Amino acid sequence: MATIKYDNVEKTYPDGTKAIPGISLEVRDGEFMVFVGPSGCGKSTVLRLTAGLEDITGGSLFIGDRVVNSLAPQQRDIAMVFQDYALYPHMTVRDNIGFALRMMGRPKSEIRQRVEAAAGRLSLTALLDRKPRNLSGGQRQRVAMGRAIVREPQAFLMDEPLSNLDAKLRVQMRAEISSLQRQLGVTTVYVTHDQVEAMTMGDRVAVMKSGLLQQVAPPEELYERPVNIFVAGFIGSPKMNLFESVLRRDRDGGTFVTFGAQELAIPKEVLRERPSLGQRKDGPIKVGIRPDGFILTPNGSSDQSIEVTTEVVESLGNERMVHFIAQVRKASDADTRDQRTDLEEIAPDAGTSMFIARVPPYPRVHERETIRLGVNTKGLYFFDEEGNSLF
Amino acid sequence: MSNASIPRHQVMTLSPKVRDRTRIGRLGPSRLRIAVNYLVMVPVTLLFVSPIIYMFIASFKPNNEVLSGFGVFSLQDLSFNNYLSIFSRFSGSDTGTFTGFLTTSLIVSAATVIGGLVVNSMAAYALARLRWPGRNLFLLAVIALVIVPFEAIAVPLFYMLDGLRNTYLVQFLPFIASPFSIYLFYSFFAGLPKSLEEAARVDGAGAWRTFFFIMLPNARPVFATVAILQFMASWSSFLWPVMVIDDPTVRPLPLAISVYVGTPPYGWGNIMAFGVMMVLPMLVMFLIFQRWFIRSVVTSGVKG
Amino acid sequence: MFTKPKTVAGPAIASIQQDTRAAVVMVTPAFLGLLAFIAIPFLLAIFLSTQNLQFGSGLAPTWMGLEQYRRILLDPLFRADFYRALINNATFAVVVVPAQTGLALAIALLLNRRLRGMPVFRTLFFMPVVFPMALVSVIWKLIYAPDDVGMLNTVLKVVTFGHIQPHDFLGDPKTALAAIIVTSIWSGVGFQMVIILAGLQSISATLYEAASIDKASKWQQFLNVTVPGLRNTLVFVVMVTTILSLRLFDQVYIMTRGGPLNATTTVMYQAVTSAFDQGNIGRAAAITVVFFVLVLGVALIQRWFLREEREIV
Repeated sequence: MATIKYDNVEKTYPDGTKAIPGISLEVRDGEFMVFVGPSGCGKSTVLRLTAGLEDITGGSLFIGDRVVNSLAPQQRDIAMVFQDYALYPHMTVRDNIGFALRMMGRPKSEIRQRVEAAAGRLSLTALLDRKPRNLSGGQRQRVAMGRAIVREPQAFLMDEPLSNLDAKLRVQMRAEISSLQRQLGVTTVYVTHDQVEAMTMGDRVAVMKSGLLQQVAPPEELYERPVNIFVAGFIGSPKMNLFESVLRRDRDGGTFVTFGAQELAIPKEVLRERPSLGQRKDGPIKVGIRPDGFILTPNGSSDQSIEVTTEVVESLGNERMVHFIAQVRKASDADTRDQRTDLEEIAPDAGTSMFIARVPPYPRVHERETIRLGVNTKGLYFFDEEGNSLF
Repeated sequence: MSNASIPRHQVMTLSPKVRDRTRIGRLGPSRLRIAVNYLVMVPVTLLFVSPIIYMFIASFKPNNEVLSGFGVFSLQDLSFNNYLSIFSRFSGSDTGTFTGFLTTSLIVSAATVIGGLVVNSMAAYALARLRWPGRNLFLLAVIALVIVPFEAIAVPLFYMLDGLRNTYLVQFLPFIASPFSIYLFYSFFAGLPKSLEEAARVDGAGAWRTFFFIMLPNARPVFATVAILQFMASWSSFLWPVMVIDDPTVRPLPLAISVYVGTPPYGWGNIMAFGVMMVLPMLVMFLIFQRWFIRSVVTSGVKG
Repeated sequence: MFTKPKTVAGPAIASIQQDTRAAVVMVTPAFLGLLAFIAIPFLLAIFLSTQNLQFGSGLAPTWMGLEQYRRILLDPLFRADFYRALINNATFAVVVVPAQTGLALAIALLLNRRLRGMPVFRTLFFMPVVFPMALVSVIWKLIYAPDDVGMLNTVLKVVTFGHIQPHDFLGDPKTALAAIIVTSIWSGVGFQMVIILAGLQSISATLYEAASIDKASKWQQFLNVTVPGLRNTLVFVVMVTTILSLRLFDQVYIMTRGGPLNATTTVMYQAVTSAFDQGNIGRAAAITVVFFVLVLGVALIQRWFLREEREIV
């Protein structure tokens, strides 16, 4: 049984910094769990606590049935893939992969056989007698993986293993790692700052910020039902457009949210699915629209679309990114505010903000044009003043 | 490569090697320049090295010819007599033997170096990579002790080790633990990537096995540097033997030649032969391992 | 599914314990060595300097307090030798440091070209460093031989067409120290040169090219690119050479025995002769304590002076 359970695990440094105030989470046997978040959020710390490379200062960590808090890394039966691969430069690929087995004292014949099996899985057989300095980045990465899988441990821990690879290689290795993990069925904890990796590889994703878990859920759930503004803004690329709005109901029972001086009507089914929203009194509210929540040819009434002025149009062939300005104030929490793009710095005055829409290449949209942009009101996200989602 | 008029700004985009080969007046050394260079360098170097040449030549000449002005450079009367006389002059335990001097120097230097490599590298590794109570204090102590020159403790050490005089032990034991060597090893180990060691830990290697299987195989440069520096220091050691050795059978080479010069009768030819034999091992090693020697010195400079 | 944990949260005790056990074994030999052969003698020196101890006489040492220091520093009967030693050391340092460094710099500049055979020249200049100082002293003792058959005398006669008479360099108080200075510079210049050369080679070539495009002359380039780039290297070399020149002993012992008439005596030579020839351990210890304070002082002063403008790259 290779589950990993974090029971209020805490990490406070000797100088008093609380890197991890407390995390509780259970990784199921055979699950691929991704920890994701901006730099400094604590995800690498959690991994290192799991590995035993740093001490846990509070709470309990279980691997399988055992409490491992006081166990050294070598006693936890885990394998780790490091960001810089950490291959032993003076050893051949074969010896690198077999090192752990040698440390365990396994007989030579068994080591040989297991190393060759692992190498075969990762297409490394031809490289077994080379040294790391004669390998490409992708090959080194695979050797690091080989070193981990040959031990058949209870769990794999991976610390941003793809961040040193170029984009194309990254896409390819993502798929390889996912498929490998599925074949082997080993519980895996994977850390990354890249939300695309998180979304494509994880069975479940744990979003972290400032040492705290924001949400732990399968990727689709994170995308469709983010639990707060941070998760909503972090997951999905380009980022969700978030703005300050006012909730208003009129006497006919229609519910509206303002977009600057304009208004968007909220469909009845949305209100039905979100009781908290339905019960909320009129007043300030934060609203989010994903870039792909816009429609170029608006249909229906004017309360299903907004009038905006385009600033920059980026053409990517199969789609366009339309950066537009509107007289609306952006909504954010402290972290997302710091993630402002350069383009957004150009926005002329306070009270005016820059947003992004992702639309098909036709009909053509030009820069510095005032256009009418349709909004998919069924895909709106709502948050209260503290940034929590309203469901 | 043709000299054609390559515009200067385009020259800057070429690689330095190529640039040197395009002779563009001010931007590259001309043939004349190079010749002048050699014209200056060769005599200067020869002049500088002449004492060494003198020593070699004098060792093959009869004693009276050594002190005869430039006459010593004549190629007559060359022989190995001086060398042979060393072995006859130094025979028996009242004068010591040359092989005895050589053996002493070898044993003392080898013990210092080998002992030093083991003791200092282990301590440095523990300081650089292990966690243990008192680590910071010990590191501070080591750095503080680097400043203490040997001369400051020679006298009390002499007083302390009086009972061990005239042994091999007293010549190498005090020098095995060396703060500077520890510091060199320390900066090296601290400079290796931490992830290398963490991977070894995760793979099941404890402190010792990480040290042997991961750290040491990657530490060849620093081992060479420390070995060379400690060997040079030990082989030339003079002040300490002067203080603690008077028995010729355990006398090292530098002290032996000093005693030789201090006890007539001697001929300068003989002395030069002694000197040649004394320096030959080091010189040969140096010529073979030049790069390593020079690199060691430079490293100690950079770390300083 | 989960059994109640037996150990509640705490630091990874096992790994620190294992580390400590290994660390203790690894560190102990060095620790014992440093303690026994450096730390304790250091403290012992201070203690011994307060004693009146006649070595080999079988008499028990008696307390003298700061008397030894008073004698070597203040008492007209004893201080002459010590003062002379201090002056000699100071003269030596003041001459050798700039001369040897300047020479090393000049040679390094000459050698800093990508010409064939440069490594050979470099090796030759470095060779004296490999020679034990005792041997260097013996060779130069020969070169300085007094009559007109001595090598240096012969060279001088030829070069000046007989104007300079043969001289007893080591036997004349006026020239003895200078002779030792020349020997020391010859022995040590290769060491510095190699370090400076490495420093020169680490200055990016593009800086020179940019300067020459800016129409800077060779001399201007030297002042504005080379010297700043060498700053740290030169600082290091100067500091090390200064400290080494305070430790002067081997050459003096072999070539002149501190004479003639104390012309070449040094602090360390005084210490050793006090300990041996006179058996006066107390005084020898006092001298070495003063020596250490001197070295420390010089090192700190230099550090303070030269560190001020050091860039932190």
